[in-house]
This record gives sequence, structure tokens and C-alpha cells, in this order.
Amino acid sequence: MSFSNLALDINEIKERYPEEPLSFFKDKKMCLFKACLEKYFPGVRYGMLDLSNELDLNVSTCESQSCCSGTFFQRNLITRAQFAAINERNVYELNHQADIVLFSCNGCYNSLMRGRDFLRIEEVRYKTEEILNGLEDKFPTNGDKYRILENPSVRFLHDLDFIYLIRNEIIDILKYELNDLKVAVHYGCHYLNLSRDKKNVDEYVRDKSKLEDLVSLFGGTPVDYQERESCCGWGASQVLINQKEALKITYNKLKSAENVGADFLLMPCPTCLYTLSKPEYREKIQKWYGEKLDIPTIHLNELMAILLGCEQERCITLRRTTPRLQEIFESITQD
Amino acid sequence: MDQYSDSDWNTKFYEELVEDIEENKNIIQCISCGKCVGDCPAAKVSEFNIRKIIQKVLRGDKSVLKDSDIWHCFLCERCVRVCPREHINIPLLIIYLRNESFKQGFGPKYNDLRKYVEMAERFLTKGVVVEEPLGNELPKERVKELNKICDFARIKYVFKASKINNKKRKNS
Repeated sequence: MSFSNLALDINEIKERYPEEPLSFFKDKKMCLFKACLEKYFPGVRYGMLDLSNELDLNVSTCESQSCCSGTFFQRNLITRAQFAAINERNVYELNHQADIVLFSCNGCYNSLMRGRDFLRIEEVRYKTEEILNGLEDKFPTNGDKYRILENPSVRFLHDLDFIYLIRNEIIDILKYELNDLKVAVHYGCHYLNLSRDKKNVDEYVRDKSKLEDLVSLFGGTPVDYQERESCCGWGASQVLINQKEALKITYNKLKSAENVGADFLLMPCPTCLYTLSKPEYREKIQKWYGEKLDIPTIHLNELMAILLGCEQERCITLRRTTPRLQEIFESITQD
Repeated sequence: MDQYSDSDWNTKFYEELVEDIEENKNIIQCISCGKCVGDCPAAKVSEFNIRKIIQKVLRGDKSVLKDSDIWHCFLCERCVRVCPREHINIPLLIIYLRNESFKQGFGPKYNDLRKYVEMAERFLTKGVVVEEPLGNELPKERVKELNKICDFARIKYVFKASKINNKKRKNS
């Protein structure tokens, strides 16, 4: 059995639709993977939803999709086969509903790829099948039982890759621009270091600059900084367990971006956003490392919502108390 | 670092750990270049040292399972990216070492696992790790499926601890 990764082949789309890659998605059923941490940053989901609606894309969410469970696997609280079974349950549901699944979270994206990879190990695959066979409930829509799909048609795409792919078509529908704001970008480890979704070594090892390119395209100035490629500090829940150590990494990152005069930090992952913006963590950083850092942090999808002209309440302010975010919102949306 | 000599090789432990992982079949070819350590976030803020851990594994030194170091890895996969060798996946090795550590009765500190109590409870009762998801909750029958999948997993024991905590809270 072969278990090729389910990442959408972006190069193929670029070849087939060099001028208008968006047209590839027009007749596709698309689904937004629900990342748990979007709860704290609803603009991450709403931003992509609003963008998709503006582009006339057929987008939904999957009611039966669960958390990716990556956080439990990383701490060995579930086995490889259980992790793979949770993933395959999700893959089965998503495959039933969509052609393409979009991911706003590096962690979820990585988990879905990781779970699929484990199926290449015969022992894990056997146990995963056994677990899925043990589920008595039937799939509600088609009456079938969960099983490992060897060749599902569904394909996965990270939001950053999607937005980058259709960037020249998005630019026409944006209401605002970045007005020369200086932007430091953070990719997040499970985007930057991930090889599972790549088809060749070059894509994996070469410098990644999609966020910087988008910032420039949207009228901002990307600024380089020393800790550009470093972790946000989440570190597979290290920030919960060894907090002082993990927040040193967070501190280094924020400080480094502030040092080069960045107006805000842009990222494509809500888990990184949570770590880099949580007020409690900022306070602890001040207490432990003696510096008050107030650089605002924004997810790429939230930024898209702001640039599209969505209501402030919908894009960024719900449940957010990130410092100076209002200031950035106003400087972008001023007429 | 120099506590081992060239004649100390004992790859039995390594073979047990990586027998079914294609991704780690070349750990034995680690050249101790240290690139992984230099780029490692955990190494910057703790005693976590991948090179030392690999040396222990390749010498069959199972004391590595008792070391708290293995619980400091960020699983960021940076080391995989900078490693000059193919088929060396340190984060996966760390997950396997942690698993073995659990099996041998060492595992992480109790206090570390306590941080997972609430998340485990939410996952097994709602299918998410936050108090309330954005949008609709996962239907109950789907949550049951997750519970069934997680039968006998450690997450269930952590969840049990949340029930005991709740009971204690009610009684007090």
C-alpha cells in the first residue's frame, strides 16, 4: 500500500494556470480545517471565510472534524496508531465533504501529514485499522464505516501557500494597503521546517520568503531580524510545562523584532500567535526578563480581513487584548 | 561528552527503538557535527543536547530514559532541516524515547502531566482542547468515537485525574 502525502501539488496548478491560479479553485469544494486555537482569534477563521466569499469560492467547515490531537501525541498521551486513527477519521470525514482543505494552523497541518506518514509502518497501519474497525457508529451521511483510505481525493493546503498562490488575483479586491508599515514575519517551525508536504529537496531547504513577498505586495516593508527563523516558544507545549525557559525564546523573538523597528509581527499560525501575544506571557516576560515588549502580533488571515475592509470586531478585536493592535488597525484603515 | 570510547558501541537499544522507522534508519551515521545543537531552541534554554542523547542511544546507555532532558525537546524539527544526513529524524527519536521512558515507569514529572488534565478532559468530552470551540460543538456520537479510539491510552489516565480533582473540589 502506498500512502503518498495529501499536500496539494501547487507547482502543477502554477503550470496549468500560470495567469489565473484562482480558477483552479472555482469549481472545487473547499473546507476550512477548524484549529482549536481559532477560538481565541476568530478573525483567523473569519478572515479566510470572508476572503473566500469575496473570491466566490465554495467554502465550508466540517461538523464532524475533531481536534488534530497533535498536542497529545507530542507528549505521548496517545499511541501512534491512536493518533493515526484520529487523523484517518478526520481524513475520512474531510474527504467525504471536500476536494481541498485549508489549514490556518501549522500544528494541524503537520499533524494531518504526520498521521498519514505513520500508515507506511505496517504495524501502525494494522493497529489503526483495528481501532477504526472497532468503532461501532456509522458515518452518518453515507452509512459506511470509517476505514483507512488508500487514495483519498482530498488535498491539503496551508493558508499561506494558498494566499501566496493567488496573490496577484487577491490584490485587486483589497480595500486597504499596509502604508509602508514595517513588518517582521514569523513562519513558525512546523511551516519552516516541514518536509512532509514537499516533493523535492529544493522546496524544503531553500530560503522561504512567501510572507515577505506578500508584505511587499500589500504595500508594507518586510524587515529582517536575527530571530526570524526561531521558534515562538510554544515548543510542543513547553510554554505550559517549562514556562520560564520557553518564554526566554519568546522574549528573544519579540525583542529581536522590536529592535529592528518592526511595527508588527505577522505569522500564519494561531498557536504561534497565542504564544507571542498572550498578555499573561508578556507580563511574565517583563517580570522575568525585565523588559516590557508591546509589539503587536497579527495572523495572516486577520491581516487579509483588515485589508479587505472587514469590520474591526470581526477581524481582530474579539477576545483580543494584544497591545497596540488597535493602533495598527487604524493606521492601515485610515483614509 | 567524552565518557565513551570508540569501542563502546552497542546498537541493540538503537535497533529496538528504530526498527520500524524508515525516517531514522541513519541515526547510526550521525557524524556528531553539532549543527542540530547549534540551532536547537531547547539547547539555548536548557541542558537538552541532541548529540549527547544520540551518543547514549548508540552506546545502549538506557539511562537516557531517566534523563529529564528528553522532555525538554521543542519538537520544532529544526534539527531535521539542518542535519546534513538524510533519514535522521531527531524529534521522532525523542518521541520514541519518551514512549519507552513511560513504558519503563519513568516518564515526565507528575507536575508536567497536570498541565494536560484540562486539555485531556476537553478533548475527550468535546473533541477540542479549548473550553468552547469557535462555531458548533462536535456532535456527541463523534466524541464517543474519539473516546473509543483513545481506549487504554495515557490520555484516559490523565482524564481520570481530572475527575478525581473535580470530586475533591466538590467535597471541599
